[in-house]
Amino acid sequence: MMVKIIGITGGKGGTGKSTVATAIAIQLSKKYKVLLVDADVDCPNDHLILNLKRNEYKIVQQRIPTWNKDKCINCGLCGTVCKTNAIVNIPNKSPMFISTQCNGCGACFFKCPVKAINWTNKDIGKIYFNNQDKIHLLSGELKENEPVSEFIINSLNEIITKIVQNYDYIIIDTAAGTHCPVIAALEMCDEVFAVTEPTPLGKHDLEVILNLLVKLKIKSNIILNRSDIGDKKFIEVLSKDMKIDIISEISYSKEIVNNYANGVPIENKQINEITIKIIK
Amino acid sequence: MKKITILSGKGGVGKSSILASLAITISKEKDIICADCDVDASNLALVLGAEKQEEWENLTTNKEAVFDLTKCNSCKKCFEECYFKAIGWKDDKPYLKDFSCEGCGTCQIVCPQNAISLKEINNAKIGYSNTRYNFKVVSGQLNVGSSGSGKVVFKVRKKAEELSNNCNLMLIDSAAGIGCPVIASVSGTDHAIIITEPTPSGISDMKRAFKVVNHFKISCSIIINKWDINEINSGKIEEFANSKNISIISKIPFDKKFAKALTKMIPIIILDKNYEKIFLDIKEKLFKEIYKNEKI
Repeated sequence: MMVKIIGITGGKGGTGKSTVATAIAIQLSKKYKVLLVDADVDCPNDHLILNLKRNEYKIVQQRIPTWNKDKCINCGLCGTVCKTNAIVNIPNKSPMFISTQCNGCGACFFKCPVKAINWTNKDIGKIYFNNQDKIHLLSGELKENEPVSEFIINSLNEIITKIVQNYDYIIIDTAAGTHCPVIAALEMCDEVFAVTEPTPLGKHDLEVILNLLVKLKIKSNIILNRSDIGDKKFIEVLSKDMKIDIISEISYSKEIVNNYANGVPIENKQINEITIKIIK
Repeated sequence: MKKITILSGKGGVGKSSILASLAITISKEKDIICADCDVDASNLALVLGAEKQEEWENLTTNKEAVFDLTKCNSCKKCFEECYFKAIGWKDDKPYLKDFSCEGCGTCQIVCPQNAISLKEINNAKIGYSNTRYNFKVVSGQLNVGSSGSGKVVFKVRKKAEELSNNCNLMLIDSAAGIGCPVIASVSGTDHAIIITEPTPSGISDMKRAFKVVNHFKISCSIIINKWDINEINSGKIEEFANSKNISIISKIPFDKKFAKALTKMIPIIILDKNYEKIFLDIKEKLFKEIYKNEKI
């Protein structure tokens, strides 16, 4: 069978993305070969929910400039082309470099008229890969204070491309929000499930992410979590307006909350139903 | 003016809900302004039930490469050197891929034909709302699929400064995560409040948020939300706080009313008067933290 790549996203944080992603992965893994990808690289948690030990697989690096002070003529051009404020010009001296601000773009390197800039690398995060258990888990983690989360996602995407044929289903669990790292994580997906909650906030953020998915031309569905806490109308109206179906409603349960707090994944009827829809 | 950032790492732990009620409490004795720096998913005005935006202005914080194909000699240098793989190649000419250009200008520098320029693009909107609680909320919203959230965060903070007049306190609501927009929300502030919950994810993300705050050498305090859903995990948070010498300024119990408050767009402190005491207590402890070395 052809592999199917499913994205789990939602816009708003804390709506239950990881809870749903891990639960679906467990259900699917009973019959199929499943890879779960934790693409919330700012705050990866799927291994905690599944209680899986993570094995270090790869260190992700990013190039950064380094100055040959003998060659540098203190012209300051590198500082003027740096758009991320990583290079601070100091009169009559080689510039000061703030490594955590640098995104490796290369503008300084190419601008330098005397080739005084060379490349070196900094570690910006890690990839963990666990392929011993029933569910294989690929998990990315950004190093604290590094700004460019999407470099870690790009590294995850490269690995997925290499091992994609080993699986029947790949579940990609994204971060909250709608910015670069979420877009990078959604690019690989055949179909996306947006998990939301029945509040004005859930609706507001869902609308942003659904608009993004429309732009990316990816088939999307809505999963309404904690459907009985709040007012379903917020989401139902949006679903109708955008012609994107609510394919499942998961009601609030104290058991789910307690299990989450104890690091136990959920298994219930609604998750089974979502899984059946994915298989179809 | 003191600036305080609320962050959490993990999303949905109650940042905006808690900030809204804390802001109302503080506004009774100080002039304040709020900045919603979650520009991906700006929700603070909604939580406060704020009326419509007073003004929306388009923001240009990003640039994008534009190719003059009549000058292009198909040398492919731009394609080869773009670190963000934002340039595609079709019919022997470059084109810009969607959602990928960082506006760094490297392609422009390497092009021997001067065929590339950078065009400013509207990538966000920014505005403010008047709340019924006598303070303003400045919000930003990144356009769908646009990049540059960190720069938009800085603009939101700048706008809040401009509108702050005589305010003595700015409360900043950050996005989930610990990446670029959160770093932009935290840097250069006076104090950070990390909101967490007693779940394995909440604890792990709190520790990561703390590392970011600590990197900037900003003092911080912790609020444990829904602390009673797992008292053992709450104990672990307290142990962590003790080991790092951070004060836990509140433990808020789990209460379904928070969801009701969000649905009705009425902050919890207005919906349920019992919360007044809890937030007065948070305010007192917070002031002790931020005015440690000063007379209030």
